[in-house]
Amino acid sequence: MAIKNIIATVLFFLFFYAATAQEVKEKLNISGTAGISYEGYGLHRSPSGWLGYTPRRPWNQVRFNFSPTFKFGKNFSLPFNLNFAVKPTNFAGPYSGIIKQDFGQYITNPMNNFSVNPKYKWAELQLGTQYLKYSDLSTGDIGIFGAGIDLRPKTLRIKFFSGISQQGINYFAGPPTVTGAYKRRNWMFQLGTEEEGKYLFAVNFAKGKDVPTSSAPPPLTIRPQEGVVVSIVSDLYLEKGFYFKGEGAQSTFTKDIATPLTLILKGFRPFIEARTSTITDFAAQVAVGKKSKDFDIGLTTKYLGAGFQTVGYPYQQPDRLDMTLNTRFNAWKDRNKNYKMNVVASLGRRINNVNNTALKAKQFIGNLNWFTQFNDQWSLNVNYNNFGFQSASGINPFGIKNVSNDFGFNPTYNKSTTKMNHLFSFSYNYSKYDERDVITGLTTSNNTHTAVLTYVPTYFEKEISPDFSILYFYNDVPMAKIKLATFSSALSMPAAKKKLRLRGQLQYTLGKLNSFSSNNNLIASCNVDYKITKKLTWNTYLTTNYFKYGNEIIPNGANYLESTCRTGFQYSFSTKK
Amino acid sequence: MKKLIFFIALIFIAATTIAQLNTNLILAAQPPASLSEWGVRREILTYIINTQPGLSFPVIIKAEIKTTDGTVIGTTDLAKAKVFTPGSATTILFAADVLPLENILFTGKYKTSIQRTGKLPADNYILCVQLVRPVDFTPASASVCKTFYLASIQLPILMKPYNEELLDGKIAQTAITFRWTPVVPPQTPPVTYRLQVFEVLAHQQPMQALRSNQPLLDQEIKGSTQYIWRPQLSFLPPAPVVSDSAHDKKKTFLRFTWTIQSLDALGLPVTQTDANGEARSEPIVFFVKPTARKNN
Repeated sequence: MAIKNIIATVLFFLFFYAATAQEVKEKLNISGTAGISYEGYGLHRSPSGWLGYTPRRPWNQVRFNFSPTFKFGKNFSLPFNLNFAVKPTNFAGPYSGIIKQDFGQYITNPMNNFSVNPKYKWAELQLGTQYLKYSDLSTGDIGIFGAGIDLRPKTLRIKFFSGISQQGINYFAGPPTVTGAYKRRNWMFQLGTEEEGKYLFAVNFAKGKDVPTSSAPPPLTIRPQEGVVVSIVSDLYLEKGFYFKGEGAQSTFTKDIATPLTLILKGFRPFIEARTSTITDFAAQVAVGKKSKDFDIGLTTKYLGAGFQTVGYPYQQPDRLDMTLNTRFNAWKDRNKNYKMNVVASLGRRINNVNNTALKAKQFIGNLNWFTQFNDQWSLNVNYNNFGFQSASGINPFGIKNVSNDFGFNPTYNKSTTKMNHLFSFSYNYSKYDERDVITGLTTSNNTHTAVLTYVPTYFEKEISPDFSILYFYNDVPMAKIKLATFSSALSMPAAKKKLRLRGQLQYTLGKLNSFSSNNNLIASCNVDYKITKKLTWNTYLTTNYFKYGNEIIPNGANYLESTCRTGFQYSFSTKK
Repeated sequence: MKKLIFFIALIFIAATTIAQLNTNLILAAQPPASLSEWGVRREILTYIINTQPGLSFPVIIKAEIKTTDGTVIGTTDLAKAKVFTPGSATTILFAADVLPLENILFTGKYKTSIQRTGKLPADNYILCVQLVRPVDFTPASASVCKTFYLASIQLPILMKPYNEELLDGKIAQTAITFRWTPVVPPQTPPVTYRLQVFEVLAHQQPMQALRSNQPLLDQEIKGSTQYIWRPQLSFLPPAPVVSDSAHDKKKTFLRFTWTIQSLDALGLPVTQTDANGEARSEPIVFFVKPTARKNN
């Protein structure tokens, strides 16, 4: 620990020495943003004592953001990024349920960011909370509070970072339950060569290790873990838009540090020793394709072994082989040689259980989005989305089979007169979802129809911008039929010599479940954006939501009113004239 | 008379040498696929040794894992196994004592599978446990066997809205349909899917939002793999961004991230040693386009 502190201090002073030696005489420029916002939430439920609807925002929350960048001449910059909130609101992940935080927990809580990244020419010092992505298979999803460097002399790439991604948190049965977590230390390193837009070749190393004694009582369901991943990345960008990207990785992961050491399994010394819960597996991904202005095509393949696990992507699902073919092209030119048609499509196949430790599951995924601008008045967007999932189901008589098909059709008509423009947009979506019961073999169909008609008048000589829409939603599944009808209208207009921008929306939904009496929902909301000066704005958002059930629940006629108020000042500053 | 004494002595010696302990094995029919997880969950395997008064001697536990055709694929390394003497009454042991992985020798493809994944290939297996004497490894109890089915749990894959799908605000403000694949193999009783939707705020990464924000939707759904959410939110466009950064200007869409947590009948994660230990599926992001107006 002492050595790390010394290294960090030496690096820090080296940066400042290097910077001040050359740049102290040059002009200082400061730019960035600063802001403070308050969010208040209220919920009133009726009848008294009914708890059928739970609050979904913190009652009160204050957030700060401060991101100044100090620039000393053209070579040295000192960007700060300070984003933090007053109250913890963690519901998932290691901080889930925490209410009282100590200082260490506060600064490493993912809801807060404290970082400064002094940069001199090609050398960057990284201090505080960093979300660093080294590659798709090594590390990239988690924020780590610590210190590191990112050096890019010419084509060389040297990166190192070390810190803490989560603090030890004691389990508490509650209420509310605190899941608890072990303190996790992380290290990562990259050595490579890169010429932007031409090639990249790098070796990545990432390690994470939990401290088993860091929480007391420890989490009930989570074990202290340790993992190391080594990967090799190679990207190549060729002429005419052709590209190749590849990465191969090996992970060694111990699922429970408390399990005994063993010589039977493989470790990865000196970084990780083999325990009875240690697994070693591989992953790879390859992408080849071509990109151009009017035509893209790409094939991506990703394989993750069943035992491939990294601390840098804690939610990554292993044991799969994904293959995706993507394409995008423009076609059908008009008189001005602009393209009228744009098509984006993808086909994918995923196979789970490559290592045979699970039941074989196969998925097919297909997406198509086809847009055509026929003329100045008419355009049409058609989309189709399909996925299928099939698997054996173990001891059950029938296998799992789920198939989803979605089709959308969206014509738009635009008509302009000398005073205004009329935009009519109609959208119809049909969605069918079939699920097979693994006991009876019967397939249930879930059909959804959605139709929306929107009218948007735009006045050329007035500054109000309204829009109106009507929506009908129908979902039919055995034993349940849901009907929803929504009427909504929005209005946007400037005021106070365009210093004020007002936007409001009113939305009413009539809902019906089977033969129960209808439920009613009214939502009113508005945004008020006030430009106090050229650099300072005051943004306020108010919304209120009233929902009244029919007799589909007990107590009949239960209702709630929830309100949210979000208001904040945002200041943009720069000393540059 | 001499013959009689010799005969009685012979019976006594024989009775002592073939004296066996009564044992019982209780094993979950569908235990976790990760064998290392057996050691930390006591409810998976229980081995009971009943010792007759005055009949207590050192023993070793010999465990064998077999396929249904009887082929032994893993067995205790008796030379390294721990020698212990059962107590005077009933001794209760768990998986960590009966099947210590550091002393189990696997063979062939099963050894490779354990090294790479910590699991055996999905199939039916038989676990046989017997007490043997140290040194000569002669049986000290009858072999008790139990059949179990092993298949690694696959968590749901989020299907709809798919990753980075852009939803029309006019439709999304009334209803958003979520679909995901089921937990495989199906569990009894059915899995409870906890669907969570988080708003990604302006200065947040999606993963940061998931790990720090209060979910706008936190709904438990039993058995089914579809949920129609009535958001009851206004999807007015977010406040204009003051920053000059091009990256910030792109933030004109409202961003959300969603995930599924798969829970068992007790409300605990269906798999506890795989990945994050929370049985949370890989989260994905979707966007909502605030209004139909193109110039907003």
